[in-house]
Amino acid sequence: MSVEKNWEPKIIAFTCNWCTYTGADLAGLNRMKYPENVHLVRVPCSSRVNPQFILRAFQKGCDGVMVCGCHPGDCHYATGNYFTRRRFMLMKRLLEYNGIDPQRFQARWISGSEAAKFRDTMTQVTAQIRELGPNSKFQEKWYQEGGPENE
Amino acid sequence: MNDTLEIKREAQLRETARRLLEDGTVGYIIGWGTTRFEDKTAPLFAAKPEEADRLVWNEYCINSLAKYSLDDKYPEKKIGICVRGCDSRAVNRLVNDKQIERENLFLIGMPCSGKENSVCEGCSHKNPVVYDILIGEPVEENTEEKASAERFREIEEFEKMSPDERYEFWAKQYDKCIRCYACRNICPACSCKECYADQYMVGWQGKQNNRAESQVYGLTRAYHVGDRCIECGECERVCPMGLPIMRQTKKMLKDINDLFGNYECGVESERAPVLGEYDLTDRDEFM
Amino acid sequence: MQLDKSDLQEALRILSAEAGVFVPSVVEGVSRFALWDGESSIDLSRVNTELPPKDILFPQTEKMYSYKMGKNIEIKEIIDNPKQVVFGIRPCDVKSIGCMDKVFLEKTYVDSFYAGKRENLTVISVGCTQTDRTCFCDSMGLSPSDAPGADVMMNDTGDTFVVEAYTDKGKQVMEAWKPLLKKGGKKPAAPECTLKVKMSPEISVKLSKMFEHPIWEEVSRPCIGCATCTYVCPTCYCFDMNSDNHSSEGTKFRCWDSCMFSDYSRMAGGHNPRPGKKERVRNRYMHKLSYFNERYETSLCAGCGRCADKCPAHMDITAFIDRVAEEEMENA
Repeated sequence: MSVEKNWEPKIIAFTCNWCTYTGADLAGLNRMKYPENVHLVRVPCSSRVNPQFILRAFQKGCDGVMVCGCHPGDCHYATGNYFTRRRFMLMKRLLEYNGIDPQRFQARWISGSEAAKFRDTMTQVTAQIRELGPNSKFQEKWYQEGGPENE
Repeated sequence: MNDTLEIKREAQLRETARRLLEDGTVGYIIGWGTTRFEDKTAPLFAAKPEEADRLVWNEYCINSLAKYSLDDKYPEKKIGICVRGCDSRAVNRLVNDKQIERENLFLIGMPCSGKENSVCEGCSHKNPVVYDILIGEPVEENTEEKASAERFREIEEFEKMSPDERYEFWAKQYDKCIRCYACRNICPACSCKECYADQYMVGWQGKQNNRAESQVYGLTRAYHVGDRCIECGECERVCPMGLPIMRQTKKMLKDINDLFGNYECGVESERAPVLGEYDLTDRDEFM
Repeated sequence: MQLDKSDLQEALRILSAEAGVFVPSVVEGVSRFALWDGESSIDLSRVNTELPPKDILFPQTEKMYSYKMGKNIEIKEIIDNPKQVVFGIRPCDVKSIGCMDKVFLEKTYVDSFYAGKRENLTVISVGCTQTDRTCFCDSMGLSPSDAPGADVMMNDTGDTFVVEAYTDKGKQVMEAWKPLLKKGGKKPAAPECTLKVKMSPEISVKLSKMFEHPIWEEVSRPCIGCATCTYVCPTCYCFDMNSDNHSSEGTKFRCWDSCMFSDYSRMAGGHNPRPGKKERVRNRYMHKLSYFNERYETSLCAGCGRCADKCPAHMDITAFIDRVAEEEMENA
């Protein structure tokens, strides 16, 4: 597939309200820059993320999907991210089994104080997805045919 | 298959069924009955003692029966169900998922040496794992080596393909899917009162039939039942388009075995599904 | 007239110059009618394809119109009615097209999407030389070797096909095939279905009085509530309409729906007049064997046997018909 000239990766990151989203906020307060390709969706807990969100994100035109939450042991709800961990270890493997590059779906633990880690992770993941190019797997035809650019 | 033994088992089944219906232990018995075609049986619901003779037991008794108990969640009398190894695991599945009460069922154990069904080849539980009465003697189980070698053989083969080949393979499979939802409806792990796929106004699942929507359906189902799959193979048997559906759920089971230790569903009567629990010492690969 | 079998590909090539030609073929392991590429083999070995040809006229998902929001709302009708030929369709499936014609084209409402496709479709039927064990079309009043609703009727005599045109569209096909056709040829005797079912007009009348009969409770019990029977059925025509939205634009489409699904009959507010499988199975059987007869004077079952072949629970409409035939009715 030829990469369009002005193609920019579209990445969606589900971030937990208590850690990663706060970390992103801190990054902002400190005037840190991270690629605008990453779109944050705030969720109450990383375990709120239904694996179907990932499938739907790819279907609706995302090139990369991330799930970010508190470090294990630090969950605001005590145990939420232990479920996240199991859940997405399996999901990642299932996606890979179905032909999705493992870099396109990533999960990370980023705490509220780790603004720099947030910036670095987002920069790094964006670079990886840029390297991989646009994703067409699992995508709806409308997006494959150009999507919003057609309007 | 030892024919005389199985004919004897059929006679014993009928005799037992008649007795259970006569003395009122059960309200009715779910078993297998004949159809117009010699090589097909259909689920049979025997409610009168004289109907017990319509029950059959042969190599074509392939339909899974446990899920029919969901149609009658509050029975007046116990429901009698003929259970092979796989059906008994389905019963455990439904009990574990809090769908039925074990005491509402009377399980007639049918040791099964395999049916005209390819999934039976690597069967790891030919004898029912739970029953109230066993018909005849237990049969010899497959050796552990045979069962475990067979269990993930296909998955390992498939994993050797390149990511693009794998994607193409599945994409072509999902192109065939007509979204009849037979795989969902037959599955003892699919017991949601209302499936997400039927709530299409909510937007989880588009009703249009195309590759992308069928992929989302296929993967969602695989993931949803993956940690509760009892490996009965009914999804694959019922698929009118012949999709290798088990290859998705078995992949989940294989990973679960690799990551969280030995795991087989429906064998124990009480066990939380892998994704319904956690362990502090789980591997952490997300950092 | 007759056509040598060796000339079949050439004959279809002539037609494919002007129209898309659908032939029975095996696609990814599924036997169905697929657009012919001009070379691949035509699979007439099966009595019936696994999937019926209904999606040529009534696609599983059919776009109806597209819309764009903005200052002005823009609505565009989607009309896609290419010239098409379906070759190798069996008499039972031809009859099923006749049933769909009645639904979509007769009695007060004409469905323009169906009408457009139907007008541009030429039906070339090939009679059966053998029957499957689930075939029962002759019990439903059809003949395995003759399809009165076809444009062209062909019958296999071994090395040749006997070809007859039944309509003007069919005559045009014969005209195009003129260089390939030879005179003569005798239509072979029709094979007989091995499965005999006790279907008769009386059954339809009898059924209409059996709405509250205990038989429904019993026959519906094995049903698992999937849509296999309705989706492999050549005459099931129910559909649902929905839209596919993308930001400020989208399409409205219709797609197959099945009366075996719970959401099919669910109303706004949540009430469901067909809450369980008893009501749903009753509706399907009644529709096939009684309701349709009342409205259109023919049965909606063509006897192709696909549902009996594919049902996961091995339910069998033929056994049901025989069961009804034997049922004693107090006031029948």
